[in-house]
Amino acid sequence: MTPRIVVIGSLLILAAVVLVVVALPFYTVSDAPSEIYRQRTDEELAGKQIYIANGCVYCHSQSIRTIDWGLGAERIAQSGDYIDDHPILLGSARTGPDLSQEGGEHPDDWHMAHFKNPRTTRPNSIMPPFLFLGEENIKKLTAYVQSLGMIMADKRIARQRKWKELSTAAFEAGPEVNVKWLHSHVPEPWQKIANPYPTTPGALARGHKIYQDFCMGCHGPVGDGMGPAQPDLYPPPLNFTILKDRGISGGILYYQIMNGITGTAMPYFKKELESEKIWEVGDYVAVYFINESDAGQGGGIDAAFEN
Amino acid sequence: MSENNKTALGFCLTSSFWMVVATLAGLLAATKLVAPDLMGSISWLTFGRLRPIHINLVLFGFVTPGLLSAAFYYFPRLLKTDLFSEKLGVITIVLWNIFLVFATVTLGLGQTQGREYAEMIWPVDIMVAVLFIMVFVNLTMTVANRKESLLYVSIWYVCAGIVLTAVTYALGNVIWQPDTGALKGIPDAILLWFYGHNVFGLLLTPLSLGVAYYVIPRSCKTPLYSHTLSLLGFWSLLVVYTHIGTHHLLQVPVPTWLKVISIVDSMGMVIPVMIFLINIWYTAKGKFAEIHGDIGTKFIFVGTIMYFFVSIQGSMMALPQVQRITHFNNWVVGHAHIGVLGFAGMMALGGMYYVVPHITGRPLFSRLLADLQYWLILIGVIGFTVVLTIAGLIQGNGWLNGETVYRILAEIHVYNVIRASLGVMIFFGAVIGLYNILRSIFVRSGGVQ
Ligand code: HEC
Ligand code: HEC
Ligand code: HEM
Repeated sequence: MTPRIVVIGSLLILAAVVLVVVALPFYTVSDAPSEIYRQRTDEELAGKQIYIANGCVYCHSQSIRTIDWGLGAERIAQSGDYIDDHPILLGSARTGPDLSQEGGEHPDDWHMAHFKNPRTTRPNSIMPPFLFLGEENIKKLTAYVQSLGMIMADKRIARQRKWKELSTAAFEAGPEVNVKWLHSHVPEPWQKIANPYPTTPGALARGHKIYQDFCMGCHGPVGDGMGPAQPDLYPPPLNFTILKDRGISGGILYYQIMNGITGTAMPYFKKELESEKIWEVGDYVAVYFINESDAGQGGGIDAAFEN
Repeated sequence: MSENNKTALGFCLTSSFWMVVATLAGLLAATKLVAPDLMGSISWLTFGRLRPIHINLVLFGFVTPGLLSAAFYYFPRLLKTDLFSEKLGVITIVLWNIFLVFATVTLGLGQTQGREYAEMIWPVDIMVAVLFIMVFVNLTMTVANRKESLLYVSIWYVCAGIVLTAVTYALGNVIWQPDTGALKGIPDAILLWFYGHNVFGLLLTPLSLGVAYYVIPRSCKTPLYSHTLSLLGFWSLLVVYTHIGTHHLLQVPVPTWLKVISIVDSMGMVIPVMIFLINIWYTAKGKFAEIHGDIGTKFIFVGTIMYFFVSIQGSMMALPQVQRITHFNNWVVGHAHIGVLGFAGMMALGGMYYVVPHITGRPLFSRLLADLQYWLILIGVIGFTVVLTIAGLIQGNGWLNGETVYRILAEIHVYNVIRASLGVMIFFGAVIGLYNILRSIFVRSGGVQ
C-alpha cells in the first residue's frame, strides 16, 4: 500500500462513518421539548457551571432507565428533556445516585449541610466535601440541583416551600405545639398502632447500626438533635427527648421514618429501609432516647419468630 | 540513519515522567473514595478534578507519548531513511510537555468543558490539534523521503492513527465552539461517545498494534506470519471500530437504529481483534524464550493478551442484557483499566524498554527493576480487574433488585480499599520505571541485571 492509500483511504472511511453515525442523528434527532421541559434561570445556569467545574458528572448520572428503582425512578428519561443541555451531562458512573429528578427531593437547608460535608446528613457517604466552594457558590449549585427534573421538580419545590413555612412556625411555637403539629399530620390509624414486635437485645443492636448509618448526622449520637448537620438545618433535627409523655407511638415513629417530613430536612427512608429495619430503628429511638416504648403491645397473633 | 534519536528519547522521558504524575492523581482519587475527608476540602484535590487530570494525563501524558517514542524509533528504520526532522521532533516534545502542564493546571483550577475525555478547554484543544499535526508532518515526511518502497503495517497504523485522531479530536471537542466545546442535547452525547470511543480505537489501539507488529517479529527473529492478515486487520479495524461508539449510550434515548448498529458491530470487533492476535501469536509461536529474554517484548506480549481479554469483554458488554448489570458501575472502570493500562499501557512500556537499549547501544540500567515494574503493574491491573469486577457486580445486581446507591456503598467499601492499595503498587511501578529509564539514558552504572 502507498502512503496515499493509507491516509486518504482511512480519511474516506472516517468521513463515511461520521456522516452516518454523527451527522445523520444530528439532523434527525427531534429537538422538540418533552412535557417536563422548561428553561433554566440565570442562577441555575451559574450553578450548572459549578457542577461542571467540580466534576459532579463523574459520580452522578442524569439519565433514568426503565430498570431503575432508586432516586428519580419515577420518570424515565426522554430525549426532549435534554434539548437545552449544552453540554449534556448524562454521566457514565453512579458512584452516587442519579440526579435527573433531584429537584425538590430535599429542602435547600439539607443541601447546604450536605454540600459542606456530605457525612453530616449521610454518615456513610463518600461524596467529597464542598466546603471550599463557599456559601454563595453552594447556593447557586443548590439552585441548579433543585432545577433537575424541571417542571416536575418545580412542583416538588413548591411543596417543600409550603411545608417549610408551616414546620418552621410550629417549631418556633415551642416543643408542645411542635410535637402536636408533627403528629397531627400522621394519618390517624397510624397514630394508634403500637410497635407489634417486642424489644430484644438483637433488635436494639440492629437498630443502633441503622441509627448510626442513617440518622446520627442529624439527630446526634444521643438523640438530642445536635448532630453535625444541625447548624445548617432549620427547623433543626428533632430532639427526641421532647417526645416523652406526648403521645408517641410505634406507629407514629414508623410513619415518620418511612415518609419523612417534607419541608424539613427529615428525609423519607421508604426506599432505603425495609419494614423490619424501620420498626427496629424506631424502637431503638423509643427505648434509648425517648425512654417510652410500646414495642410488643401491638396485639394480633404473635409472629412465628417471637419468643 | 538517524543517529541521535532525540525525538524517540524525548517521548520516552515524557511518558515515563507523566506516568508518575498520572498514576499519582489516580491513586489520590482512589484514596478519596475510601477516605473522602482525608485531604480536607481543597478545590484542586477534590475527586471531580483529580479524575479528569488522571485520565487525561494517562491518555496524553503516559500512553500516547510512550507509543510515539517507539514509532519515532521504528519509522526511520522501517523506511531506511532519517527522521524528517529531529528539530521539529524536539520542538514537538517541548510543546507537548507545556501542553501537559497547561492541561493539569487548568483542570486543577476547574476549567473544564465537563465532557468525559473532552474536558480540556479550547486553548488546550488547539495545542493538542497542533501537536498531532506536527507529529503527522514529521512522520509522513519521513515516509515521503523513504528509501524502502514497501510500507510495513506499523507505518500504516501510525499514519492513520495520527491523522484520524487529529480529525476526531477536533470534531469531538467541537472545536468551532470555543466557549462550551459541545453540541446541545442528545446529539452532543452521540458525538462525545463517537469521539471518546475513538480515543481508544483510533489512537491507543493502532499505535499499540504498530509497536507489537514491529517488535514481536524482530525479537522472535521470524518474519510476520501473514501480510494478508495484517492488511485485513488494518482496514477492518478502521471500518468497524469507528462507528460503534453508541454502545456507551445503550440505555439513553438515542435512535434505536444507531444502537442496533453499535451492538451488532461491537460483536464484529472480534474480526479485527482476532486477525491481529492470530497474526502476532502465530508469529510468536514457539518463541517463548525470546519473548522472555527481552523485557520490552515481554511487556508487549502481555499487552496482546490483555487486548484479547478487553476486547472479548467489551463485545460482551455491548449486549443490552449484560449492560443491565454492568453499566454505570465499577465493572466499566475495570474494563477501562484492562484496556488502557493492561493493553495500551503495557504496549507503551514495552516499546520504550525495547527502543532505549537499541538507541543507547547499552543494556538497560537494570533488568531487575524493569521486571519488578512488570510484576507490580501486571499484578496491579489484574487485581484491579478482579476487585472492580466484583464491586461492579455487587452494585449492578443490587441496583437491579432495588437496593439504593447509598446502601451499596458500605458493601463495596472493602473493594475500594483493595483497589487503592493496588494503586500504590502501580504508582511505585511508575516511579521505578522513571528511575530505570533515567538511569538507562543518562548515567548508566551499577544497575542489577
Ligand atoms: C466521589 C463521587 C461523588 C462526587 C464527585 C459527587 N458526589 Fe454527590 N453523591 C455521591 C454519593 C456516594 C452520594 C450518596 C450519599 C450521599 O447522599 O451523600 C451522593 C449524593 C448526592 C446528592 C444527594 C442525593 C439524594 O437526594 O440522596 C446530591 C444532591 C449530590 N450528591 C450532588 C452532587 C453535586 C452537585 C456534586 C458536585 C459538586 C457531587 N454530588 C459530587 C458521590 C459523589
Ligand atoms: C437530614 C437530617 C435528618 C436525618 C438524616 C434524619 N432526620 Fe429525623 N428529623 C429531622 C428533622 C429536621 C425533623 C423534624 C424536626 C421538626 O420539624 O421540628 C425530624 C423528625 C424526625 C421524627 C419525627 C418525630 C415525630 O414525633 O414526629 C422522627 C421519628 C425521626 N426524625 C427519626 C429519624 C430516624 C429514625 C432517622 C434515621 C433513619 C432520621 N430521623 C434521620 C432531620 C433528620
Ligand atoms: C474492541 C472491542 C471493545 C469493545 C466492543 C468495547 C466495548 C465497550 C463498551 C460497550 C463500553 C461501555 C460500557 C458501559 O458504559 O456500560 C466500553 C467502555 C470503555 N472501554 Fe471498551 N471495548 C473494547 C475495547 C477497548 C479497548 C481496547 C480499550 C482501551 C484501549 C477500551 C477502553 C474503554 C474505556 C476506557 C471505557 C470506559 C468509558 C467510560 O468512561 O465510560 N475498550 N467499552
